[in-house]
Amino acid sequence: MRMDLVLAVLDVPGQLVRVLEPISGLGANLVTVIHKRDVKDDKGKIPVQLTLEGKRENLQRVIEKFRELEITILEMDGFVKKIIVSTILIGHIVDSDIRDTMDKINKLEGVYVSGFDIQLNGENKSSALINIEADLDKKQLVFDRVEEIANEKQLLMINEV
Amino acid sequence: MKFSDTMKDCRVIIMGFGAVGQGVANAISLKKEMIKEEYGVNLKIVAAADSSTSAICQEGLDEDLLVKTKKETGKLKDYPEYGGDKSNIDVLESVDYDCLFEATPTNIIDGEPGRSLTLKAFSEGKDVVTSNKGYLALNFNEIIEAAKENNVLFRYEATVGGAMPIINLVKDTLSSCNVSSIIGILNGTTNYILSRMTSEGSSYEDILRESQELGIAETNPEQDVEGIDAACKTVILANSLLSIPATYSDVSVDGISSITSEAIDLAKRDGYLIKLIAEVSPENLKVSPRLVKEGSAYDVNGTLNMATVKTDLAGDVSVIGLGAGSIETASAMLTDLISILKLKY
Repeated sequence: MRMDLVLAVLDVPGQLVRVLEPISGLGANLVTVIHKRDVKDDKGKIPVQLTLEGKRENLQRVIEKFRELEITILEMDGFVKKIIVSTILIGHIVDSDIRDTMDKINKLEGVYVSGFDIQLNGENKSSALINIEADLDKKQLVFDRVEEIANEKQLLMINEV
Repeated sequence: MKFSDTMKDCRVIIMGFGAVGQGVANAISLKKEMIKEEYGVNLKIVAAADSSTSAICQEGLDEDLLVKTKKETGKLKDYPEYGGDKSNIDVLESVDYDCLFEATPTNIIDGEPGRSLTLKAFSEGKDVVTSNKGYLALNFNEIIEAAKENNVLFRYEATVGGAMPIINLVKDTLSSCNVSSIIGILNGTTNYILSRMTSEGSSYEDILRESQELGIAETNPEQDVEGIDAACKTVILANSLLSIPATYSDVSVDGISSITSEAIDLAKRDGYLIKLIAEVSPENLKVSPRLVKEGSAYDVNGTLNMATVKTDLAGDVSVIGLGAGSIETASAMLTDLISILKLKY
């Protein structure tokens, strides 16, 4: 059988090889690779489109290997698997333990903080943008959890519509 | 004139003669000939009242002179010959009329004087068109039931989104559809402030001060910037279009006063804008600052309002329009009156 995948891979030397290497070893054939270097996201990742051929169980092993290597699978056979949601927090973000905020989000299964940008304003409230990568069905869960954390720490949360 | 033999009078009272009330008088002045020709109805203002005085004449008042008098002296009692000291409920009792234009200020403490005026008109069998959000946000059902009991028509398009059609749009034009949610920008003042913070990178305090100088924000801006105005509109949409029996206290409300220019800048870098968004759905009744994608239907700037209605058959339908303004809000009220004329005259 055939399988189409879209992966998010860092655009630095060696990364593409790291992705392609396990494929043949696990009994799958690489049919096409499309490496889109002109569409980089904010984190420097580019989409790599693969078509693989092989037995179902071998293809499954490839997927498991990718997960083990923490390679983000954006799409599988045309279905979107991962989404990136953004949220902004305003308040005393540093004082309310930034590390703890991140850890609490990362604790959710299939969810992790993929980007964080903060602007401090002296003694005043600071503002932070957080990008969170999550399984497609986890969007509401992420928002609910961030809202809980924001309420607990008295931060204003600005979510996507 | 096709209707010359059967021409009927529709006598109206305008209660509240601020920007909206004056807009109604101006709109009637501009459109009464059209209404005569199209609907065979002769519109007459038989009374108009500000907070403490009024002008009353059973034969009809001159629309332009009402506005001129109010602008020049500040009081309708100075209207030549027919001006006087009657106010509030007394005005409704001094003259025969068919429809009340209720344009008194929004009051979210007890809904007065709009609530009493509207109920009084209903009890006398009169139809009412209102622009007043307060008493509807406090007790929507009481008012709708009272209109039904008295077998009168009640229209309130102008309470949400000013000139932007939304209530009649969903009720009439999208009547084949079920609506699952309405998400929109329902307050022009906050949209103006956030738009300018985004384009200029200035602080909230600076832009608020300038907006006050320009007359876009009020001297006491709380109702707008703390999301109270948008929350009232959320209640009205929830009740009227999604059959959610909500009242003001059911809405979770966050305003824009703690939005920093840094937050707007961070959002912009990621392709987002910050907007004060009202969400109306069975799961959420909420007014809060939200991130919206640049270039999406929510990317609407200045004092404009917008709303996206999610429907089962028609998909998403979005509207954009002027959310405030004298003649603009009056346009929605006059449209409501015309819908009454179509049904009853």
